[in-house]
Amino acid sequence: MSQENAIEVRNLVVHNTALTAVRGLDFTLPAGARMGLVGESGSGKTLTALALMGLLPMGWQANGSVRHDGVDLITQSDRALSSRRGRTISMVFQDPLSSLDPVRHIGQQVSSVIRRHTQASKKEAERRTVDLFRQMSLPRPEQLMRAYPHEISGGQRQRIMIAMALACYPQLIIADEPTTALDVTVQKQVLRRLNTAVQERGSALIMITHDLPIIAAMCDTVAVMYAGKIVEMGPVAEVFRNPRHHYTKGLLDSQPTMDNIALDGSSRLASIPGMVPPLHSLPAGCAFHPRCAAATEQCMSEVPTLDDGPRRAACWHPIGATVPMEVA
Amino acid sequence: MAANDTSLVPPLLEMRQVTQTYALNRQSLLGARPQLTVLDNIHFDVRPGEAVGLVGESGSGKTTLTRILTGMEKPREGHVFYDGRDVWTGGAEHWREFRRSVQVVMQNPRSSLDPRMRIGSSLLEPLRSLKIDGDHAARVFEVLDQVGLTRQALERYPHEFSGGQLQRIAIARALMPGPKVLIADEPVSALDVSIQAQVLNLLKDLVNNLGLSLVFIAHDLSVVAYTTSRVSVMSAGRIVEVGKPMDLFVRPQAEATQNLVGAILTVESGLAGNALG
Amino acid sequence: MILSKSSHLPNPAPLGVPASPPARRQRRKLPRNASLLVGIVLTTIFLAVALVSFFYLPSNPNIPVIRNRLLPAGTAGHWLGTDVLGRDIVAQLMVGARTSILVGAGGATLSLILGLIAGLAAASSGKIADEAISRGADILLSIPGMVTALVLAATMGSGALTTILALTAFFTPSFTRVVRSAAIGVLNEDFITAARLYGRGKIFVLIRHVLPNIAGVMIVQFTLYFAAGILTEAGLSYLGVGVHRPSISWGLMLNEAQQQVGISSPLAIWPGLAIVLMVLGLNLLGDGLRDVLDPKLARRAS
Repeated sequence: MSQENAIEVRNLVVHNTALTAVRGLDFTLPAGARMGLVGESGSGKTLTALALMGLLPMGWQANGSVRHDGVDLITQSDRALSSRRGRTISMVFQDPLSSLDPVRHIGQQVSSVIRRHTQASKKEAERRTVDLFRQMSLPRPEQLMRAYPHEISGGQRQRIMIAMALACYPQLIIADEPTTALDVTVQKQVLRRLNTAVQERGSALIMITHDLPIIAAMCDTVAVMYAGKIVEMGPVAEVFRNPRHHYTKGLLDSQPTMDNIALDGSSRLASIPGMVPPLHSLPAGCAFHPRCAAATEQCMSEVPTLDDGPRRAACWHPIGATVPMEVA
Repeated sequence: MAANDTSLVPPLLEMRQVTQTYALNRQSLLGARPQLTVLDNIHFDVRPGEAVGLVGESGSGKTTLTRILTGMEKPREGHVFYDGRDVWTGGAEHWREFRRSVQVVMQNPRSSLDPRMRIGSSLLEPLRSLKIDGDHAARVFEVLDQVGLTRQALERYPHEFSGGQLQRIAIARALMPGPKVLIADEPVSALDVSIQAQVLNLLKDLVNNLGLSLVFIAHDLSVVAYTTSRVSVMSAGRIVEVGKPMDLFVRPQAEATQNLVGAILTVESGLAGNALG
Repeated sequence: MILSKSSHLPNPAPLGVPASPPARRQRRKLPRNASLLVGIVLTTIFLAVALVSFFYLPSNPNIPVIRNRLLPAGTAGHWLGTDVLGRDIVAQLMVGARTSILVGAGGATLSLILGLIAGLAAASSGKIADEAISRGADILLSIPGMVTALVLAATMGSGALTTILALTAFFTPSFTRVVRSAAIGVLNEDFITAARLYGRGKIFVLIRHVLPNIAGVMIVQFTLYFAAGILTEAGLSYLGVGVHRPSISWGLMLNEAQQQVGISSPLAIWPGLAIVLMVLGLNLLGDGLRDVLDPKLARRAS
């Protein structure tokens, strides 16, 4: 295990007694790198994040190996994990309101995280909290220390969650749909703060979202998940400009952009037919084959695996396989 | 241009000078109750066969406007006209016509269908409630066809469907009484990306094929722009700008419009590295 | 009904003919649920015993037979023995089951009905009605149930009917609260807005949409209050303000057995055991039903 990697995930499987939601995930994230994890509901992206944090809901279990900071997180005791959470690995959740304790001051909540993981005195922790708030461009940080979560806006709450996650300079931050619950107009501001804060600390970032533009703006590499597996992986610019998997291409094509608005009136968005298969009845072979225009008999019976190389795809008939790829 | 053709026709559904205020709790025991103005002198209309959009941040008054437009709430001041007549003073027969002709598709498809009712019953409900005669079964099949669902759906319960399918069912229910205006309130924001495009295309087809009027309400300008030909931008209870989607994108005038346009992230701008400014 | 009208359509065979839902509702498969099973078995046994007591009793539970005084359990003809007046314990327990079930179910049913009416009214009739009903329920809840029962017994005379009324007064406010909060949850769903938008009235919405969606919660509550009613009845009869001979209840048997503790202790055990098993059965039934009827759990399983 090289110390340069923030996390190394090998054959991660997440299941309960009836269902397997994550079906064998492999990826490595070098220190300070940023990876996007794209997927729709039921793709297993959120359970993946919770498995990395050791926070799986009741009844769910993770197998495989997750190397982080010299240990395998899967085999760690809950006690050992909880001393890591917030210190070497931390997470920003989708809903900032339910992630904050409604009856405690905001300042108290953030500074208690600092005090738990460092030797800092109460005074010192509070001073660092104010600094953090200032870094996150939060207005009047001193007054904010004594505010309750319901007294501030959603965008501010999420910036506080980010401040809390970053308080102890973790090696890895996992952000699960951090802007989905926010108004569109504050989304950019929150992302910008997250971006610079992660940069300043040299932390690695896993950005989990269904929103491709956010990944394009925030990440270096991207892994596209479908039905519990990674179906395509590679540098963001290459994957988004020249997708190899038909699902990735479908996702990209179904984004409304200036181009298809300009056509006006009769223009139509390209859409992926059908629906995400439920976990209990996944199709045989490639899970995407019933929705794929390029599917052949092979796709219906044989499970494709990620091929090797920097631009990996799990597809029997990847896009651009016969024609030489254009150099972007 | 489609927009020019319809601009000569009188509006089918219209709000005129609507102002809505809510009384807040008293600050002191004997003090007057402070008033909160949620909508401030709103003009809003949709013509037959026209697709119009309404965008704004949360708290801009979109929800209240929708409630007044659909007759769920009576405006304190101003009027709502359907087919040229005020719906609140037009009499029972006109109210029934209004109820039948203006139908709504809501944001969360899982919440908008009764979990204890079969899909078939849910679809028939509007016909039974509005006492619409005719061949109900034939109507159900026709509408299922229009939204791209099979007849097997009728015997099943909502929990057996995915979000995208449920939204189709909710659209089907809205179409059952043969409405003239469809009001879609954030109809795709609860759906997966790959499903959003399906539902947007469906709404667009319904407008084109059935000659429906569409009022599309959302917080995301690009989604609204894709489905409509005229967009109103709301901010703090007022409509601050009205225009064609492309014009709003290229030359946003009002500050609220500029904010909304500025908030749009695209894959291309993200890859170019300047998305977050 | 459209059933008839669909017959002329070209392809009637696979049509999901939209019949009204209750006609042929598929039973949801019951999961292997141990507490539900035990609950059903225990409750059914007691219900059966109470029913049988109307047609058959081993002997008259009220007529003293002095030569049979205090027979031990296992005696032929008196399998659980007799009490101090020679009356058969089995016969008394059977009649007691009747009283316990009548009082428990009666109190739970009446308060369910009243609670449904008050709770639905509170949830759907605006702020003033809601405040009035909710605060009224709060006031009633602050009066101890035993006090209500004692006052009623003193003014009306004690008996099964008085006990049922006392239980109703005691349970109705809690039912009202449960119904109110469950109904508010349903009323906030979008399908209610949709129904209002295609013109359905308030009463229709309450009956056709709200009731079916809170039925699961109500059934569970009913079983729990049924059990609580049996316990309360036993307590009241034990204190002497419940039923009297010739009526028999398990609480009354406990009261009578109390005088023989030390002389013939098992006399107190049999009615006590009956109370424990019946209450346990109903509570298990309620817990089991909660798991089966909770739409969230059901949705997750599907």
